[in-house]
Amino acid sequence: MTEKKRTMTTILWGRLRRNKAAVVGGCFVLFLILCAILAPVIAPYSYTQSNFLATYQGPSWQHWFGTDELGRDMLSRLLYSLQTASLIGFGAEAVELTLGLFLGAIAGYAGGLTDTILMRIVDIVYGFPSLLFSIIMVVLLGHSLFAILIAVSATSWVGMARIVRSQVITVKQSDYIQAARGMGATGWQIIRRYVIPNSLGPIVVAVTFGIPANMMVESALSLIGLGVEAPTPSWGALISNGDQAMFSFPYLLIFPAFTFALTLLSFTFLGDGLRNVFDSKSTQ
Amino acid sequence: MLRFLGRRVLYMFVAFLCISLVTYVLMKAAPGSFLSMNFQEGGVSQVAGSYNVSPIVMQSLVSYYHLDDPWYVQWFYYVKGFLTWHMGTSFEYPGMKTTHIIDTAFPFSFRLALMAVVTALIVAIPVGVITAVKENGWADVSIMFIAMVGTALPSYVVAVLLIVVFALWLHWLPVIGYTQWQDYVLPVLSLAIPMIGSMSRYLRNSLLDQLHSEYVTGVLAKGGGMRHVVGSHALRNSLLPLVTVVGPQLAGLMMGTVFIEEIFNLPGLGHFFTSAANLRDYPLIMDSTLLYAGVILIMNLLVDLTYGVLDPRIRRSFDMG
Repeated sequence: MTEKKRTMTTILWGRLRRNKAAVVGGCFVLFLILCAILAPVIAPYSYTQSNFLATYQGPSWQHWFGTDELGRDMLSRLLYSLQTASLIGFGAEAVELTLGLFLGAIAGYAGGLTDTILMRIVDIVYGFPSLLFSIIMVVLLGHSLFAILIAVSATSWVGMARIVRSQVITVKQSDYIQAARGMGATGWQIIRRYVIPNSLGPIVVAVTFGIPANMMVESALSLIGLGVEAPTPSWGALISNGDQAMFSFPYLLIFPAFTFALTLLSFTFLGDGLRNVFDSKSTQ
Repeated sequence: MLRFLGRRVLYMFVAFLCISLVTYVLMKAAPGSFLSMNFQEGGVSQVAGSYNVSPIVMQSLVSYYHLDDPWYVQWFYYVKGFLTWHMGTSFEYPGMKTTHIIDTAFPFSFRLALMAVVTALIVAIPVGVITAVKENGWADVSIMFIAMVGTALPSYVVAVLLIVVFALWLHWLPVIGYTQWQDYVLPVLSLAIPMIGSMSRYLRNSLLDQLHSEYVTGVLAKGGGMRHVVGSHALRNSLLPLVTVVGPQLAGLMMGTVFIEEIFNLPGLGHFFTSAANLRDYPLIMDSTLLYAGVILIMNLLVDLTYGVLDPRIRRSFDMG
């Protein structure tokens, strides 16, 4: 049985490796995660340390990405904003995944009235302008990391719930489950050998696309001044700060924007690659 | 058709009531809100004393804002106020009705969003057709790569990248102001580019489905050219599902204007909304939230109706259900 599992993983891995963009994206995602975790170790300066003798310095060997209006090192601030974004991105995704798996699985398995009620709720939340809702939540809950985590995940779990539900229903109704049951497979065997492998793909893909989406919401909030509190850096705040002095000190705008764009792109390429890998129709 | 319409309108109304209830509850729960003062100790006269206002004035304010009524009556007046366009005054701009602020600022944002949609459609349809017809050619592969990049980035990042290229490096276009037509090029483009990305990808895929279907092979076998196939058969069938992606796109676009107005300093509703959110100007926040929500719901309704009109199958499934 372990033999079989290994072959499936090898097949998927082989498919992923053929997609160059996905491999590059995946490596960059790993690199970013490392940077985010090691930010306190690798950041050359403290992100709050201002130095009024070195304000608005262009990129140099001392300050690779220059310094801002208070003389704070941009590279350090970018590393910590990557950390903030990752905390929100992964954290909110974990909340979404938990809620989505739980409610989606209940709706899918139970069916009937439970399903109808849960899905109506999902429909209504889905119709909510989600970013507006996040903004209101932040206005009310404050600017702590936890408040933003809640604000980001408050509406986005419905997408996951829908995916999980439809996966559960598809797998539940399929003939091979009936056949396995008829041949005497136990519930646990069915779940491990059929349900999980068959419904994993769309969920993994949704998670990969969900993380950058959460990062986007986080930095969008801080772009309009509703993100994490001031000394903690965030990409959105760095971008809006750089926007104010872009003609005099363009590097303050260019570095945050380009690194953020690169981060989002690497997640997207990885997600796109994974989608092709799990879509058995597209590649054999 | 009538039943379909009735169902959708009813559904929209329920959703709107839910959203208004959420904004109402949140506004009541907001710390330090004037509207929650009837819950404070000592009642109206105590509060009047602490604000140094005569109890008679306070009493009239209380009855003006229906603070002595139960919450559902207050909620009713809140929704009624929105529907009849008689909402309260702003905290940040005393004496100014929030409706007045919205009246002047909203058309600006709406125009911006509309220009972006039109631009996106004008670009995305030809791009989708070209890439589908030249499937897996170099043009298809490279355009789809660019489209994926466009989809992956939110409009405010696209805006910054456009600013860096067209304003900082090339000095072609202005980034501040809203009087000449050049001022609108970058804001509209940054809203349109993410839409172009996803729309052209979607159109390409649905057009490919059509081109691989048997009736297209039939037309080709009878001697019809590619132009004929796309122009009079395939494009029609694949424009239909495009309507469904345009809907959620429009909702995202309305929110996108908030950030674009922030970056380009444009005086739209998003600009007021942001400053209201920062200064805790609750009436203005909640009224513009309701307005955004209403616009998004109406857009979704229009999209569904268009789809129902264009595709009889959708209508029938609703009539049966």
